[in-house]
Amino acid sequence: MGLSDGFDFKGLADRVQYPNLSQFERPNVVTTTVDFIFSWARSHSVFPFTYGLACCAIEMLSSGFARYDVARYGMEVFRPTPRQCDLMIVAGTVNEKMAPVLKRLHEQMSEPKWVIAMGACATSGGPFYDGYNVVNGVDKIVPVDVYIPGCPPRPEALFQGLLELQKKIQAMRIVPPLPAAAPAVIAGGDQAAAPTDEAAADGSAAAAADKPAAAAADHLEKVEG
Amino acid sequence: MLPAIGSAGLSIDDVAARLGAELGADLTDAHVQEPDTVVAAVERTRLHDVAVRLRALDGLAYESCNFVAAVDHRDHFETVYHLYSFASNTYLELHVEVPRAKPVVDTVSDVWPAADWHEREAWDMMGIRFEGHPDLRRILLSDDWVGHPLRKDYVDSIENHPHV
Amino acid sequence: MSDAFPTTAPDEAMALALRRIAESEAAGRGSEMAGLGFNQVVVNMGPQHPSTHGVLRLVVTLDGELVRDVIPVIGYLHRGKEKLAEKRTYFQYIPIPDRTEYVAGMNCEWGYVRTVEKLAGIQPTRRSEFIRVVMAELNRIASHQVGVGTFVADLAPLGTALVFYAFRHREKILDLFESASGARMMFNYFRFGGVRYDLPDGWVEQCRELMTQVPAWCDEYESLVNDNAVFLQRCIGKGVMTQEDVGDYAITGPNARASGVAHDLRRTRPYSVYPELDFKVCLGEHGDVYDRYQVRVDEIRESARIVLQCLDMLPSGPVQLGTLRAPYVITPPPGACYTAQENPRGEYGTYIESDGSRYPYRLKYRDPCFVNLQIFPKLLRGNKIADAVAISGSMDLVLGGIDR
Repeated sequence: MGLSDGFDFKGLADRVQYPNLSQFERPNVVTTTVDFIFSWARSHSVFPFTYGLACCAIEMLSSGFARYDVARYGMEVFRPTPRQCDLMIVAGTVNEKMAPVLKRLHEQMSEPKWVIAMGACATSGGPFYDGYNVVNGVDKIVPVDVYIPGCPPRPEALFQGLLELQKKIQAMRIVPPLPAAAPAVIAGGDQAAAPTDEAAADGSAAAAADKPAAAAADHLEKVEG
Repeated sequence: MLPAIGSAGLSIDDVAARLGAELGADLTDAHVQEPDTVVAAVERTRLHDVAVRLRALDGLAYESCNFVAAVDHRDHFETVYHLYSFASNTYLELHVEVPRAKPVVDTVSDVWPAADWHEREAWDMMGIRFEGHPDLRRILLSDDWVGHPLRKDYVDSIENHPHV
Repeated sequence: MSDAFPTTAPDEAMALALRRIAESEAAGRGSEMAGLGFNQVVVNMGPQHPSTHGVLRLVVTLDGELVRDVIPVIGYLHRGKEKLAEKRTYFQYIPIPDRTEYVAGMNCEWGYVRTVEKLAGIQPTRRSEFIRVVMAELNRIASHQVGVGTFVADLAPLGTALVFYAFRHREKILDLFESASGARMMFNYFRFGGVRYDLPDGWVEQCRELMTQVPAWCDEYESLVNDNAVFLQRCIGKGVMTQEDVGDYAITGPNARASGVAHDLRRTRPYSVYPELDFKVCLGEHGDVYDRYQVRVDEIRESARIVLQCLDMLPSGPVQLGTLRAPYVITPPPGACYTAQENPRGEYGTYIESDGSRYPYRLKYRDPCFVNLQIFPKLLRGNKIADAVAISGSMDLVLGGIDR
């Protein structure tokens, strides 16, 4: 006669109660702390990819060296292989011969990854916009997060772009934020609709890089209606 | 060993006179362009012969080919060869007229190895074939580019732009 | 998995390399590593590579670690500058040669501007000639610092230190450029008949003080690497260019001077006010990688001397012809003209043919790096793969000039 006699194993699965995790479907102190740690880690330790194509590469190099030191932003680890990087700084003109190479290297980077278009040529073709071989802007090939104009942009301009990118990285959330409270309905109707749509859009955009995007959006809809 | 630069001690007019004496039949319309260039025209069929003789000229050998340019005058092409002689420290600029209907010229890359890539670029940009060239393929544009961009009647085709 | 990332068919350069391997094996000269049973392998370096210093692609045929053949593939930065010249007026085109050899922008602009001045018969003012020489020589120092710095950074353990010092000193020169022309790198400073702005107050004293520090900088660079056993072993005797090679392949610049050929356009085909200046032509002896590096460091010292002389001889006067705005539209008479410049990398020439209109009819660049790269396969064959980095770095290639 042991403990196992009389123990109902078959009904065990029905009787187990899982903890209520619905509180993690909305931001709470645990998710915001995780957000804080991930944002801090991701944005202050970006590994850029040395993708200097042309003249802007020299300014990118200058920004990495002693006077304009990119190490103070944590981005001094320029890796030559895309497998180890998260940020691709496209510095220079992209032409039809280089474009498939650019696409392949971008695909070799692992998520989450960001692209900065540095310089006028990478933004829109630059002074060579009507060249027969020039692709007018690298955003025709890869999605770009930050554009830095200039020909070439000063290292300070590159840093402003990097700081904008840091802000963008810090906006990532693992759980989308709650929509703003609906204001009082005023005669005229469509005022109330706009902010909530915007908040829902923001929330889903910020969580785009994380997995449960669709599920979270669905949940939001359910909370609304 | 290359001769020391300027060791022949010839002035540009001496050089022009010497070239006229030795190669006068082939170098038509030779004149001196200040300060140190002799400009002449060469018949297309005589080009390779003239090149070999210039390379082997005694005391005035043209050892280097600085560049080979291709120009599109609308009814004909022209290739321009720019040569340098260490001994006399002077340049020689040869203009060769190439018919538009059949743009073929003999290569000079066997005489001056430096002309190799310039001729490939002339093929790439202008569509002039160089007969006898060891490896005539496109150098600056993608291998499957259609057309020769530096021609005056070049029309870009959409096949060249998969990324627009 | 196999369909998700299909392997692409070899392109023309790779196909050529594979054909040559097949030919050499058919001729019985397969692997040279007797007894080890290697096959020849084609390895692709670039176009994105930390040590090719630009988008240069090298298709290397390797036999173990020995390089049997290398096919350079260029064109990844071809922007069509020669065709662009036909769509821009002579004046509008001035910023574009800057971007040819982007590390030495002042020299490239000067080359273009000089050719157009010769075609149009414009004589620049005397003060601007001296300012042009000062700017060109300062840019030569900055360019050699980039070239030597990146070359040594790829090679030697203490080389990373050298590149930091070189770039730090280069920033001081870029400060001078910025106060004179408004830009750190792409200057748009030269005009037909002069330069755009006169030197600001105090610039001459600042420059003079900086140039007196230059020999100390060069001593610092040499003290870092010239005694380093690894650096010396990787550089001495590698990639030897003979004088016949210099003639056959039309090599110019420090690459030629390292082989003992005293080809310096500032002396052999002098232009501007160089005949009035006193400087020596830095020569090497063996033509190997180490000599090419040493010639560049010596040239930094000579350029500082030239700048000091020019600053002492600087006359007063206008820096532009005519009124404040130099000619916007010039129409040189029909004709063709070629002028050559002593760029930090060699002979930078511009051949312009004009048909009398506002736009150039044909503009052709004689770029030193394009010409110098042709000898690279010959230098690398028979060496090990690690020498590819040493030899290409010592030739100081800038892809903006090679691809234009």
